[in-house]
Amino acid sequence: MKRALVLVLVVTSLVAIAATAGTATAAPAKKQDTSLSGAGSSFVFPLVSKWIPALGSAYGYNVTYAPIGSGGGIAAITAKTVDFGATDAPLSKDQFDACKGCVEVPWALSATAVMYNLPGLKCILRLNGKVLADIYLGNITKWNDPKITQANGTCGLPDTKITPVYRSDNSGTTYNFTEYLSAVSPAWKSKLGVGVNAQWSAGVGARGSSGVAGVLAKTEGAIGYADVAYALKNKIRFASILNASGKYATPGLRGIQAAAATLPKKITSDGSLSIVNPPRGNPLAYPISTFTYVIAASGSSKAAELRKMIYWAVTQGQSYGKPLLFQPLPLQVQAFAFRQIKKI
Amino acid sequence: MSVTSTDPLAPDVGVERRGIRLGDVFFKGIALLAAVGVAAVLGLLTYKIFQLAWPAMQEYGLSFIWTQGWNPNSNVYGALVFIYGTVVTAFIALLLATPLSIAIALFLTELAPKRLAAPIATMVELLAAIPSVVLGLWGILVFGPWVAEHLEPWLQSWFGFLPIFSGDPSQAGVLPAALVLTIMIIPITSAICRELFSRVPRDLSDGSLALGSTRWEAIRRVAIPYAAPGISAAVLLGLGRAFGEAIAVTQVIGSGNSINRSLFPPGDTLASRIASTYQGASSEIEVQSLLYLGAILLVISLITNVSAQVIVNRFQKARRMSTG
Repeated sequence: MKRALVLVLVVTSLVAIAATAGTATAAPAKKQDTSLSGAGSSFVFPLVSKWIPALGSAYGYNVTYAPIGSGGGIAAITAKTVDFGATDAPLSKDQFDACKGCVEVPWALSATAVMYNLPGLKCILRLNGKVLADIYLGNITKWNDPKITQANGTCGLPDTKITPVYRSDNSGTTYNFTEYLSAVSPAWKSKLGVGVNAQWSAGVGARGSSGVAGVLAKTEGAIGYADVAYALKNKIRFASILNASGKYATPGLRGIQAAAATLPKKITSDGSLSIVNPPRGNPLAYPISTFTYVIAASGSSKAAELRKMIYWAVTQGQSYGKPLLFQPLPLQVQAFAFRQIKKI
Repeated sequence: MSVTSTDPLAPDVGVERRGIRLGDVFFKGIALLAAVGVAAVLGLLTYKIFQLAWPAMQEYGLSFIWTQGWNPNSNVYGALVFIYGTVVTAFIALLLATPLSIAIALFLTELAPKRLAAPIATMVELLAAIPSVVLGLWGILVFGPWVAEHLEPWLQSWFGFLPIFSGDPSQAGVLPAALVLTIMIIPITSAICRELFSRVPRDLSDGSLALGSTRWEAIRRVAIPYAAPGISAAVLLGLGRAFGEAIAVTQVIGSGNSINRSLFPPGDTLASRIASTYQGASSEIEVQSLLYLGAILLVISLITNVSAQVIVNRFQKARRMSTG
């Protein structure tokens, strides 16, 4: 009995010594680098994961990011459990009120791809906004519907049922998608509206971009949406969409850049950053493009570091985006971002 | 104290232990604290859920319960679709799990040789150890597609005249969700049933066999009636599990927004809707409406658990009267 007790005492004291020694050596290192934690949009995650090592070597910041979805990011920064949140949908008024002292900065620009599973199709699927809205409203149910074949004459569209796939969780990608459909379809606007989720009337819901891709891969005739980086990375085919200039555009860098070129010369609020269905005049413009935002709390104890990190992201960080189909921010949006950063 | 010292099973008779009273008091205090604490947590939790949901309850009133629709972009909220989905998935799961659990339990206690019974029993119980999120993943990747490609077309070709098997097969829907729930509740109900059957007095079933009844008659006339009240309590416990399961259901039910006669299209349950849309809900009233769903679920679950307890109590009372 006594021997066991002595053994336990020796072991615990050894562990204690080791632990204090560990913290002693770790402590000076910790003072040098600042850790910044973030969570939110999965849309921007591929880009942020390129930024993390670059920020580490530039400033010694230890940035962590959890791609839990825009909804989760907003919840996390509202509860201040992270240093920054990221969302593709600008905060609603209620969300701004709940998220005390939050500042929203546009920090990346990309697009939502409309993906499909039609193995026999001979060309890239062409869709216009009204048809897309009708598919998701359940009004068009077969791929060989005249409304679809009109623009895809010789591609060999099958007599397959269309299964629209949507995000069941609250998602910034859904916001971008419904914002576009509301802009082109009055029926969509009145029935489902714009938001991070909607009262879907047709199809199947799945959790996350991976869930949507999962259902899509297993269901012939399915159509879905996700950020273009995701579609590209997973080699899923995506459609070209008719823009206001009457041309079918793809979500490539030029298409996104052309959509952003329609912005006014001076940006005054997040509300004016919407670039879905841009007006006629840019034949390349991809109509489902979007800015995505970082949210930080003003008066945070790490405000200085956050300002520095976000400033870096909207300047140098932009050059990391191109391989992932993130178009660098236009100058006037960058200027707006600088003004927002000052408020943090 | 004097009573226990005459008990032949009582240890160390006559040895006086100092401080035993103090220890008793201390232990009693801790036990009381733990028991009261749990009860208090239940009370506070219920209070808080209702308090947080209160604005939505005032806004929509009781008609929330029978309103169909959930539109976060026009702030129209109603629970009917989710109540329907919860009840239907749980009901199907019970319908399938109850006979299966009874059969498993009977096989393990009455029919299987001991060498076979032990490993099978362990495996069935291990089924309960699979985390629901893993089961949900399997549902998305393997089970859902299998249901859509094989099971639903088969059901349709044989029972297609029934409206519940009409329409297009879908890999995410009410049916796969109900089947995943079945898999989740079988370990619970079968473990309880096994316990119940193993307590059937040996002389009763032996007597029945000696009187010339077959194995099946002995089971049907003796074992099942003996265990019946306990089985219904086990079923109600399984029902509670089926009502409350969120993650696995979210992954396979396809979060639909309408009530369908067919079991193939997507639907949604109370727990699953809360799990999928609580994070990042865009307005306060949406959060409060989700909490209203939570309150409804809480009430349903409390009712099922209380009725399970009432049944068990009645069962024990009847047992005491028959044996005592």
